[in-house]
Amino acid sequence: MPDAKEQITTTILAVIIVLLFFGILFIVMVAWYNYRRRLTAREKKAMQDQFDQQLMQTRLEIQEQTFNYLSEEIHDHVGQLLSLAKIQLSSFKENEPIDFPLLKDAGANVARALQDLRSLAKGLHAGHISHFSIREAVDEEVQRIRKTGGLTVSVSSEGSEKKIKEDKQLILFRIIQECLQNCLKHAAATNIHIGFTWYAEQLRVRVRDDGQGFDAEQTLQLHSGLGLENIRNRARVTGGSSVIHSRPGEGTTVTVQIPYE
Amino acid sequence: MRILWYQYFEFFSLLCALWCARGLKSFSITVFIPILLLDNLTEVVAVNHARFNWDTNYFIYNIYYLLSTPLYLYLFAVMLRGDRQEKRRLLGIGIAIEAFMLLDYFFIQGVMPFNTFSALLVAVMDIIFVCLILFRLTIRTDEAYFLLQDPYFWINAVLLLFSLVSLIVLGMHKYIVLYHLEFRHKNLYIAIIRAANAVLYTGYSAAFLLCQTQRSK
Repeated sequence: MPDAKEQITTTILAVIIVLLFFGILFIVMVAWYNYRRRLTAREKKAMQDQFDQQLMQTRLEIQEQTFNYLSEEIHDHVGQLLSLAKIQLSSFKENEPIDFPLLKDAGANVARALQDLRSLAKGLHAGHISHFSIREAVDEEVQRIRKTGGLTVSVSSEGSEKKIKEDKQLILFRIIQECLQNCLKHAAATNIHIGFTWYAEQLRVRVRDDGQGFDAEQTLQLHSGLGLENIRNRARVTGGSSVIHSRPGEGTTVTVQIPYE
Repeated sequence: MRILWYQYFEFFSLLCALWCARGLKSFSITVFIPILLLDNLTEVVAVNHARFNWDTNYFIYNIYYLLSTPLYLYLFAVMLRGDRQEKRRLLGIGIAIEAFMLLDYFFIQGVMPFNTFSALLVAVMDIIFVCLILFRLTIRTDEAYFLLQDPYFWINAVLLLFSLVSLIVLGMHKYIVLYHLEFRHKNLYIAIIRAANAVLYTGYSAAFLLCQTQRSK
């Protein structure tokens, strides 16, 4: 009988220990789960903050780019046309007969200047990029590069176009703009190709040039390419990814994948 | 008057509750003061039952269960922070539990023997509510919230451990007493429940002090 009692006592104690073990395990898991949740929430918030910061920076850069473009356009086109019209009109004298073809020509120059100003005014509208699709915005940018001459830019698209979240579209546009600027400033390229591939969940954009290329891995490791870092960071904050491939003499390919939502 | 070692933990817990009354108020758990007063009073009377010429002290614990259960239910309702509908549901559950306990006290097991069914029901109820509260606390993700600094967490953690132990010990109380089960030459029930009580009241004391420090912050 004492043995049986001892056995029962041991069993009761064992059950209590097991229950306590599970109880403590549950409490530890509760604390751990809460810690993980808070950590995830904090990371999510940090990502959102980073995204907002990048978005603001992108907006400022696009604005600056637009102002530079406007300044050049006004100086090179509108300014030239109005100067010409002024010279033409100043050649008229009070007592001399009116040269109607010249007057007509001056009028046409003023009209062209006015038309240019109107199209520029459209570009000045805040967030005008968001009114376009990414493809249209890139086409407009390509038109602008083509105007400068000396460079062949082609655009292709595969799959059916889908709507991208407005903020992400703006950041993607800025990435493409950065790639194009790199091609213009550093690559000494003659051909640029921009390829859009519309997948079910994400968009892949590939910007390829036939320029002089560079050692991409080394540049990224040394953190010396600020523009490249920007491209990578921007792609990351949108929840996407980027791959920069380049070797000296082999041109450069930048591939960016961004989810639509 | 006899005072057993684990009762000092109870006294200390009551003192902490009184000293941190403002802290407890800021966490809406001032109900702990009547709970601890009841606990201490019950233990003092139960331990010294021989002085009153009572053969057993079980009926004192039976009355304790009847009186403390509504207070604990109120405490759970506060810590659950539920909406009006949830509080109403909780009230319904509380009334049902209390009704069963009264039935057990007067008709099923009686006034004098230890009401095992009621004790088991209270232990199960505690485990369920404590788990619910801990779950609610877990899903909180606000920036400033730190679970380990929340008094509710510690109160429920020690209460869960205590309830798990008491579920077995109180459930088998009659059996332990009948067969004189012992652990290190002491009654198994007494050895375990006293240690569990010491842990419970230490945990409460820590939580009350935490209430005070959190309030100061």
